[in-house]
Amino acid sequence: MENTTKYWKGLEELEQSPAFVEANSRGEFAEELPVENLLNDSVLESSTPRRNFLKAMGFGMGAVTLAACNRTPVHKSIPYLVKPEEITPGVATYYTTTIKGEQVLVKTREGRPIKIEGNKLSPITKGGVSSRVQASVLDLYDNGRLAEPMMNGAATTWENVDAATKEALSTAASNSKQIRVLAASMASPSTQAVLDQFVAMYPNSKVITYDAVSNSAIINAHKNSFDKAVLPSYNFANADVIVGFNADFLGTWISPVEFTKQYVSKRNANYLRENRNMSKHVQFETSLSITGTKADNRVVIKPSQEGLAIAHLYNALASANGASSIKVADLPADKMEQIIATANLLNSAKGASIVVSGSNDVSVQILVNAINSLLGNYGKTVDIDNVSFVKQGNEAEINELIAEMSKGEVGAVMFYGTNPIYTLPKAAEFKAALAKVPFTLSFADRVDETAALCTVIAPDNHVLESWNDAMLQSGHYSIVQPTIAPVYNTRQAQALFLNLGTSGMNYYDFVVANWKNVIYPKSGASNFTSFWNKALQEGFATVASQVQTPKSYSFNKDLNQVADSINRASNVNGTELFLYESVNMGDGASANNPWLLELPDPISKVTWDNYVAISKKQAVELGIQDEDVVEVKAGNYSITLPAVIQPGQANGTISIALGWGRTAAGKAGNDIGKNAYPFIVEVNGSHHFATVVEITKTGETYPIARTQIHGSIEGRDIVRETTLSNYKEDPASGSQSSTNIHMYDLWDEHRKDGHHWGMAIDMNACTGCGACITSCNAENNVAVVGKTEVRRRREMHWIRIDRYYTFNAEGTSTSKEKEYNKLEDFENISVVHQPMMCQHCDHASCETVCPVLASMHSSEGLNQQVYNRCVGTRYCANNCAYKVRRFNWFNYADNNEFDFHMNNDLGKMVLNPDVTVRSRGVMEKCTFCVQRIQAGKLQARTEGKPLADGVVETACANACPANAITFGDINDPNSKVSQLLKNERTYYVLEEINTQPGVGYLTVVRNNKA
Amino acid sequence: MFKNALLNFKKTALKSSILMVAVLFAGIVQAQDPAEGETLFKQNCTSCHAVKRKVVGPALAGVQERWADKALLVKFIQNSQAVINGGDAYSKELYAKYNNTVMPAHAFLSDAQVGSILAYVDVEANKVEEVTADAGKAGEGAGSSEDGGISATSIWTLILVIAILFGIILVMNRVIGTLERLILQKNGVEITPEIEQRGEPFAGLKQLANNKRFVLIASILFVITLAVLGYQDLMKIGIDQGYQPKQPIAFSHEIHAGQYKINCQYCHSGAYKSKSASIPSANVCMNCHKYVQATEKYNGNISPEISKIYAALDYNPETQAYGNNPKPIEWVRVHNLQDFVYFPHSQHVKVAGIECQKCHGPVQEMKEVYQFAPLTMGWCINCHQETQMDHAKDNAYYARLIKAHEALKKGESMTVSNIGGLECVKCHY
Repeated sequence: MENTTKYWKGLEELEQSPAFVEANSRGEFAEELPVENLLNDSVLESSTPRRNFLKAMGFGMGAVTLAACNRTPVHKSIPYLVKPEEITPGVATYYTTTIKGEQVLVKTREGRPIKIEGNKLSPITKGGVSSRVQASVLDLYDNGRLAEPMMNGAATTWENVDAATKEALSTAASNSKQIRVLAASMASPSTQAVLDQFVAMYPNSKVITYDAVSNSAIINAHKNSFDKAVLPSYNFANADVIVGFNADFLGTWISPVEFTKQYVSKRNANYLRENRNMSKHVQFETSLSITGTKADNRVVIKPSQEGLAIAHLYNALASANGASSIKVADLPADKMEQIIATANLLNSAKGASIVVSGSNDVSVQILVNAINSLLGNYGKTVDIDNVSFVKQGNEAEINELIAEMSKGEVGAVMFYGTNPIYTLPKAAEFKAALAKVPFTLSFADRVDETAALCTVIAPDNHVLESWNDAMLQSGHYSIVQPTIAPVYNTRQAQALFLNLGTSGMNYYDFVVANWKNVIYPKSGASNFTSFWNKALQEGFATVASQVQTPKSYSFNKDLNQVADSINRASNVNGTELFLYESVNMGDGASANNPWLLELPDPISKVTWDNYVAISKKQAVELGIQDEDVVEVKAGNYSITLPAVIQPGQANGTISIALGWGRTAAGKAGNDIGKNAYPFIVEVNGSHHFATVVEITKTGETYPIARTQIHGSIEGRDIVRETTLSNYKEDPASGSQSSTNIHMYDLWDEHRKDGHHWGMAIDMNACTGCGACITSCNAENNVAVVGKTEVRRRREMHWIRIDRYYTFNAEGTSTSKEKEYNKLEDFENISVVHQPMMCQHCDHASCETVCPVLASMHSSEGLNQQVYNRCVGTRYCANNCAYKVRRFNWFNYADNNEFDFHMNNDLGKMVLNPDVTVRSRGVMEKCTFCVQRIQAGKLQARTEGKPLADGVVETACANACPANAITFGDINDPNSKVSQLLKNERTYYVLEEINTQPGVGYLTVVRNNKA
Repeated sequence: MFKNALLNFKKTALKSSILMVAVLFAGIVQAQDPAEGETLFKQNCTSCHAVKRKVVGPALAGVQERWADKALLVKFIQNSQAVINGGDAYSKELYAKYNNTVMPAHAFLSDAQVGSILAYVDVEANKVEEVTADAGKAGEGAGSSEDGGISATSIWTLILVIAILFGIILVMNRVIGTLERLILQKNGVEITPEIEQRGEPFAGLKQLANNKRFVLIASILFVITLAVLGYQDLMKIGIDQGYQPKQPIAFSHEIHAGQYKINCQYCHSGAYKSKSASIPSANVCMNCHKYVQATEKYNGNISPEISKIYAALDYNPETQAYGNNPKPIEWVRVHNLQDFVYFPHSQHVKVAGIECQKCHGPVQEMKEVYQFAPLTMGWCINCHQETQMDHAKDNAYYARLIKAHEALKKGESMTVSNIGGLECVKCHY
């Protein structure tokens, strides 16, 4: 079947804007090289006197000679004085720990953590790991962290901190003032026990849990519906029909890595091949999220329509199941049609479906509960007996706190993992109230927005320096263990609370005691030491007695109030603003992380910036183009941000990511983008991430660095997809090339007698989240180049995820002249994510053009790039059909122009000692993680065994939460990769030019009718 | 306490005459032979005892004064536990003082032999004064000769000799010239007056300079010589073969690997399981050097080089306690590969079974380690081309490769280069 779908990477490509055409016509050099200045007439014709020439020659010779006369520098080799038994220099040691709700392994070399990988034993994240968690290792080596505790703006000692706190707390207690601890959700039983002790010691005190991006409506709705104030655990793996409403569960919502694993288990290559079927996913959303890009049907709604859509879905299901319907306002006919169709789908998959909403409006969440209950999903896909503890925040208590503080009733406030001055919509009010509190303390690791206002800053350890534990879900206990001694004079926050008590216990002993006295007795294990050691080794312990068989719940509450509330909320006029967490930046806590800042947004591919996503239709109406600065105003708060025209954005809405615009994050993250938290409004007592705004064009422009159109596909047939119905008829549908291929070989075949390394990428599983990119950056010492260089198309990432749009509108003629009929078509698009890295072609176009043989083919099918041979002609990059080669235009290490982690000694500790740090003038690219291949082979030889499948895994494959990337030996017929490459869905990108790539792609299969 | 007692004893012992002491105890043990005693002492005692220093057991100087019953002392040496269990108060006290460390029985020593050992101990104990003085002198002497190295005087002498020789050559030349002229005059050859020759001393050279053929050949030779020398010199850039830096501790591989035949792996355990062979940590040194202190070479004092290990670890040999001010030892790296080369030791040592000496040279003969191999890529490649893959036969990993090699090149032996051992990414990534 010939593929006629038109794919485009961005509007520039779709519309062939002059700038885009010009830039891409230049091939490798998007920017003109200043050759003209050098070779203009005046230079060529000017006479160079013979004496000057000789002088220059002489000087040059002399300088070179002198430089060559340099004595070999003396290298010191300093061994351990007493070597820890488990460390062998040159061999990595792995430790389990838990970071931001993901169970991970920390790879350490000679005592310093250098990389974070997923813990494959984990029952929750199952070896997947997100970008943000991986990048947190760089936060450890951030030289912007506080080196010691501070009091009143001056450095102090921990003894003084303890004494001052003790005094302030007793003063507060004796004046019968309140003591408050404002803590982020920590899900740590031991920390909770420490805080409980603290509260018992100071009866006036209270711990308030507050999350910057809250899910409190789900908790409150469950309290309302079933009298259980819990955050359910969800299981997408049991769902045949998945319906999401503005819930980016693959990107940011509650536990995205866990959900991605579950989600793809019914959509990946194995499931498709074995069952000839896959789950059906319908996503209703405002702005294009990565969850929306994976949906089989994506329906665009405004935030104000979300409640109505859910209500109509409820009504449709209620009428089919004999429940009473509710009265809500109407929706446009096309949306209603989609809702009815979705209701039918859900009805046909009772007990095997799931409906989730990202809304933080209690009434909406109550309706979602009612729907899941109607469908019998409780106990099957939604579990409120075994619940999640990752989000426990409650905004109602924040308002109480502000009131108490402004009345002067609070004697001391402590901030643990929270930064309300930055994240609270009522920050100004909070700030004013905070001024009335005599003693304030922050455990922030830097002088952040809130810490700057505090009397005492008691910097907490980085999570990689800490002992702790976590209960992510009922009965699932995780270990947090340190992998390095504290880099700075920092101390775990819990130590302060313990020091206030009389026991003087250190927190490690406390954690062990807590496990011994509280968790271990429930576990049924017979020996605590072995129980504890096993937990340390595996990273978690499951206490079976706390895991219950999920029960079914039926909803029987009156929905009239809910209907009223939804009707009220839907009654809005004007441009609606939708606030979301971006996949890379999250809530903004790691805003000073250069890896995350340079990681392209999975959808817009914007780096280093925040922006206003606007629909094409509205942009045309307002005369806005990409990079035009617009002012967004709601009430008293307004910000100016550049606009990005976003296909898939609902007309009449704009979206802004939270987590940007930090003013006190650190040198890399300060003043990038604008803070959108103040736009949050309160609806039914919880923070609501949508509001009505005015948007005006300011007339200015602001340059944005986006990687999306770096390189063009020139209309070539490199993205292939099919539908489930076609796949059922012919599994190979969609994977054939639309062009006739005639193979003529110019070159001899390479012999590959030992291994033949290859990769298979399941594009149906890939969510585009970018975890692979961060993993690659960490593994291969990929340099961060900064915004200016990204704009010059000089980003160094070895792997990128190409994101292609297509129009969904039926009957839309796709011709070269006119690709869309009306501007509304830009709402209704599909997206394909295609990870792209060096294809390790057998007939590589780069290898034939290298004049110095720096690009060579190995007998294991690797396309080798030899840095010490490369002279930087860049012919290879110019000749590469896949545009995956990266040139070092500068020395990115030890260069003040690139003041990121490679410019300071501390930041350099994150570098992988097994990979060369490339210098200026050298070409580099994906090596298939050859250092891991070599290590894996060496291990096999040492053991005298054949290399087993799965022992060697590239960094990208290792990190992928969707298991979309599989790496291995094609010569091994039983390896996973050779099985996948034999799959009917497999095709090779640009196979018609006979480069014979080593990377196969599996087609996207969409479970929709077309 | 014990230390004080020892000091007190030393003072008193010195006050009394050495002879007196010797005579006093002469009768107690028979047939004392300090020479025999020395041999026996070194064979049996040094691992736990020194004469003037506490090691595992007490310092032995004055041991005979401390024991009231000399016969019991001999018995104690032969079987300490028997004496302790026998109820002797002093031996019990001693046992408790040394943390109940059991002194092994030496029943194989006869009473006479024990006597010899005790005699040797006395001789050693009383040597103290004169010996230290001697050691000091010897040390000074060695120091001065070492400091100078190739002394300035010798260089000047050399220059002088060369100058004199040069002078002689000049004079001889002159003499020969005069003689030649005289001979020529005798033969009636007309010669230009000497005065003229004096005005043009380089006439010969001038003549040569006018000879075009000579000039051509000379310049070609000159250029070739320059080119050859230049090339040779340039090729040496970055090659540090023979590099032998001075190390912070004069550790001798000759003694450890050569004389005592300690396996390389004992200290460089990393070579078998890691990329890096790794320099042993100081705690590995302490496995032996907690007891081995080479005091016999330094007249009862701990070897100054071994003391450096103690200093690094902040270890006090007297109290056998570690302080909290350790300082790492900064060894100077001898073998430096470029940063873009990844050389795995375990592949070569463990998998291929190559001897360390193949690349590191006769380490067991090196007092101070030097770089034996040039460590150039050509040197690596050469070995990869020549080395037969003998070890591969017994290693299941290589089965596939061996099969392919057999099918492709029947009968030819397999070298490292046949299985991709010359490919770039094997070492560069």
